[in-house]
Amino acid sequence: MVYTKRYKWPLITLIVIIAALMFVIAVGFTIGFLSEDPDGLERVLINNNGEEWLENLYSPWIPFLSWITNDYIAGIIGVILAIAIMIAVFYLIIFLKKRNTE
Amino acid sequence: MHIPDGLLDPITTIVLWIITIAVMILGYFRMGKMFEKEDSEKIIPYIGVLGAVIFAFQFVNYPVPGGTSGHLVGGTLVAIILGPWASVIVLFLILVIQSLFGDGGITALGANTFNMGIIGGIVGFYIVMLIIKLLNNTSMKKELKVTIATAIGSYIAIVLASFICGIELAIAGAIPIEISVPAMVFWHVLIGIGEAIISALIVFYIYKTKPDLITTESMLGVK
Repeated sequence: MVYTKRYKWPLITLIVIIAALMFVIAVGFTIGFLSEDPDGLERVLINNNGEEWLENLYSPWIPFLSWITNDYIAGIIGVILAIAIMIAVFYLIIFLKKRNTE
Repeated sequence: MHIPDGLLDPITTIVLWIITIAVMILGYFRMGKMFEKEDSEKIIPYIGVLGAVIFAFQFVNYPVPGGTSGHLVGGTLVAIILGPWASVIVLFLILVIQSLFGDGGITALGANTFNMGIIGGIVGFYIVMLIIKLLNNTSMKKELKVTIATAIGSYIAIVLASFICGIELAIAGAIPIEISVPAMVFWHVLIGIGEAIISALIVFYIYKTKPDLITTESMLGVK
């Protein structure tokens, strides 16, 4: 049984987060609030070694979700994954900690 | 500040992985008593939401002068809410998810967790604690003390993390140290302003709406 009442506020907060993120993505780039420029580390690497050097760095893996290029889909999947993984890991931590203290 | 795959040399990568794993294991044992309470499951949904908030904010890149962008790292913010040891685990999990999207390397997860989780979270938390000790001598309200300390602490932590990242780049042979450290610190002195403002606003908001979510109040020594 799912106790929706108990989780009312976390659920509302989650919906608000996703809605706010979608809104920010939608208008952010238009009004210049968001930027697609490189971040601090990328800027330092590009300034010193060039963009091509950065793009050609060897990676032994192909990022599992790198095929998702749409910001909205990536944002929603990321938020859901973050919640699922966070809940699973901390549920396990609390379970193990309680078992050890009993 | 997400280090991609292929940037660090194998020794630096392995050493930072070992440190990160050791800190996370230590973190599990040192995590606050709130995780052992009878009703501790209650906070799990909030931890999930916190993870979503950090992920969402890390997705939002704000412009920084000079053709650069910045985004929230959130190490100090999570440390203020859940405690310094739990923050390393939260940041590690966020970085795992981001690496699946290609933001930060999978082999570089140890280095990224070291910079953003250990420096940003644990070191940031103790800087905040120190600032609160100083602010306790003033007549400011509790929430204002924590908000100001969070802003300053998260700013210093992000600049410190960029300094460490600059050293890592030099050790890896990507850029000479006389260039990497000043350049990393220069950009993050600007980017850190956003980190400080966002972290402080979130802490202030939580203090006003649901202060019991800030589980480290007694540890921080706010009076």
